[in-house]
Amino acid sequence: MATKAKSRWADDEADAALEAQRKKEKAERKRLKAGKARKLEAERQARDAAPREADSADGPPAKRRRVSPEREATQPTTGSDGPSGVPKLLRFEGGTFGRCRSVENYDKLNDIEEGAYGWVSRAKEIVTGKVVALKRLKIDPKDRGGLPITGLREIQILKDCDHRNVVKLQEVVVGDDTSRIENIFLVLEFLEHDLKSILEDMPEPFLTSEVKTLLQQLASGIAYLHDNWILHRDLKTSNLLLNNRGQLKIADFGMARYVGDPPPNLTQLVVTLWYRAPELLLGATRYGRAIDMWSVGCIFGELLTREPLLQGRNEVDELTKIFELCGVPTEETWPSFRRLPNARSLRLPTGKAATGSAIRARFPLLTSAGVALLNSLLALDPERRPTAREMLAHEYFRQDPKPKQEAMFPTFPSKAGQERRRRRETPNAPARGQQAADFGAVDFTGIFSGREREERGGGFSLRMV
Amino acid sequence: MSHMTNPLATPDRLFQRRSFGALPLELQDTIFFATQCLTQAAGILLQLPQSVTAQANVLLARYWLVEPLMAHEFSDVSAATLYLTAKCSPHPRSPRDLSNVYAYLLSASSTFFSPPTAPNNNNNNNPSAYYVSETAYQAFHTRLLALEGRVLYALSFDTHVALPHPLAVTYLQALEFLHVPKETIGGKAVQYLNAALLSPQMLYLTSQPNTLAVAAIYNAARDVGAKMPECEWWEVFDVEREELGFLVVGMRSVEGWGRKLREDMKAMGVERGMIMRKHVEAELSRRGLGVRIGNKVDAEEEAARMMDEKMEAMEVAG
Ligand SMILES: Nc1ncnc2c1ncn2[C@@H]1O[C@H](COP(=O)(O)OP(=O)(O)OP(=O)(O)O)[C@@H](O)[C@H]1O
Ligand SMILES: [Mg+2]
Repeated sequence: MATKAKSRWADDEADAALEAQRKKEKAERKRLKAGKARKLEAERQARDAAPREADSADGPPAKRRRVSPEREATQPTTGSDGPSGVPKLLRFEGGTFGRCRSVENYDKLNDIEEGAYGWVSRAKEIVTGKVVALKRLKIDPKDRGGLPITGLREIQILKDCDHRNVVKLQEVVVGDDTSRIENIFLVLEFLEHDLKSILEDMPEPFLTSEVKTLLQQLASGIAYLHDNWILHRDLKTSNLLLNNRGQLKIADFGMARYVGDPPPNLTQLVVTLWYRAPELLLGATRYGRAIDMWSVGCIFGELLTREPLLQGRNEVDELTKIFELCGVPTEETWPSFRRLPNARSLRLPTGKAATGSAIRARFPLLTSAGVALLNSLLALDPERRPTAREMLAHEYFRQDPKPKQEAMFPTFPSKAGQERRRRRETPNAPARGQQAADFGAVDFTGIFSGREREERGGGFSLRMV
Repeated sequence: MSHMTNPLATPDRLFQRRSFGALPLELQDTIFFATQCLTQAAGILLQLPQSVTAQANVLLARYWLVEPLMAHEFSDVSAATLYLTAKCSPHPRSPRDLSNVYAYLLSASSTFFSPPTAPNNNNNNNPSAYYVSETAYQAFHTRLLALEGRVLYALSFDTHVALPHPLAVTYLQALEFLHVPKETIGGKAVQYLNAALLSPQMLYLTSQPNTLAVAAIYNAARDVGAKMPECEWWEVFDVEREELGFLVVGMRSVEGWGRKLREDMKAMGVERGMIMRKHVEAELSRRGLGVRIGNKVDAEEEAARMMDEKMEAMEVAG
């Protein structure tokens, strides 16, 4: 079992799978073409096309078909025609299934994080010596609904994902007493840091080139998730992991879920307050990928200053901070916002001072391409935020300084590797059963008093020579 | 991403389980078929989309390839897999709903598995027969949650099921059947796919969705006498002639299984309703096979499982 589990997740296999996927897509195109050609030819080739069948089609077949065992072991072949002209068919590989292993296959090394809900520790697989992170699924034994859907989603989504910027789930293991499945652990690849801890400890902010590398990796991971209909719904710096080779990986899929298009009605109780998009704060239940992009904007700001960008004390205060930074919405900047449940009774200030963005002034050292990107990510109207793919193509990443090579990334002392981390003061992701905020009538008209007199960013930036 | 594929049973595992299981083959098949039918019936009463119920069918098949058939009451396993798939879908159902539906289906009032010609089919409805007392509900609920964990454990928490139904619809778009509307064939193909869920041959564990979809289309087209392309069109969908042939027969034989099942159940004294563990135990002892069934089953299943693992280890090594 042990060797099996290992080989299933080893990196070279993942690479092979990726390669196979690429080949598959190519083969698909080729085959469709070939299929058309074959169809035309078919009229001339009037040969017996019916598959062989047993004599009796109605009764149960007399004996089971035996499939040769090596079928499972064969690697996916390319779809191109073999040398003999016999078409080689694509093998779809889905693996097989079987019981979980026991957590006793791992030795705990140290706790990484003991948060409000979670428990993560560093551990070593006994047989291989491989270091992993063990994340224990939060289970409330009093919850008569059984295993929490959030945990099941987290596992399923991580199992389905395979991308260099998404943390890899190696397996799920359970406590030794399998008569009652209560202790469930996700075995994750171990990364030395999370971005939050690094930001808290670094004496100097990241260089622009480093910010770009991090953002690029983040956007590329999110593009992968969004392409596959996954919303993360809790992007924040403590959920972004970084290893000592400068690789960023998105973690903590406890809030994530698959969505269709159009997205179903969803709870607005997602995303940790400081990273929560305005449409969520205003009670939207139909939302999409843009809520993740808002969080990316918040993370962008945090990478630049080492401080969370919008630290509201509660929902109303968070919205206030957002409006202070981005300006209050108008019919023009966000045509549909008045239709959101919590927006109907809002009293908002008007006038140019209130509706303009203060992002340029808040980040005087950021280039105009950088400001443009941040501004678009923090667009109040979700429709106007870029997709992750659009973000990757943004001018900001092509300008000098270029994104730093991952291998050249500085290393940081790893807290996860050594000691128990202290608990942080960041608010937590909303818990199940919590009530969504209902503001009633809130008056925001006062938030900009005095702003007119403030020095506003005038569309230029100071250049450090 | 593996949205289009399923984890499959290795041929060895299938072979081992069926040959070295504690129960005679035909009993295994009867239990399997009846329980899958029960799941389908419950899915309908719970107003779940067929896609959700179908996933439960597939999870149940996988589960029983890993865990002993006799370890839990069959209807409980059915309920737990359905509860789990519904929970993971946009259509969750409460333990209370499941309790009510299964109590009804297992009651004498239910028409489940009673011959349609039975005389008192409709005036037999006796609500007190499927009234669920609070104690009964609590007991069901506790069993449901324990089994949910057990199913997840047995499947390594992989609840992903790719269904062939949408593929069949897509594939049909790419095919031309002269003179027959595609909807006719599509409808029939979906029927074949749903019937295949019930087959004790566990077709969803031996074949990937693309193959199932093509086999269903093939059968559907043949049924309505549609003229199929004369080339080996299944190759366009990456399906081999040999596997297609196997599935075509397998799908066509589900009806036969159904008839046989009813006879087998009758022979065991289950005239109507769901087969239970007690029926199987009685049947085993009638055949002189099943004294102290609980322990014996466990021991034999355990032996079979260990052989499975040995085979796996050999596969990996080789
Ligand atoms: N694979 C990993 N390698 C190293 N550290 C990790 C790993 N996964 C998580 N951690 C650490 O544990 C912390 C909590 O993990 P995660 O966010 O997944 O759990 P959580 O219980 O959902 O957290 P919370 O509810 O506090 O957001 C992370 O911020 C990170 O510091
Ligand atoms: Mg977290």
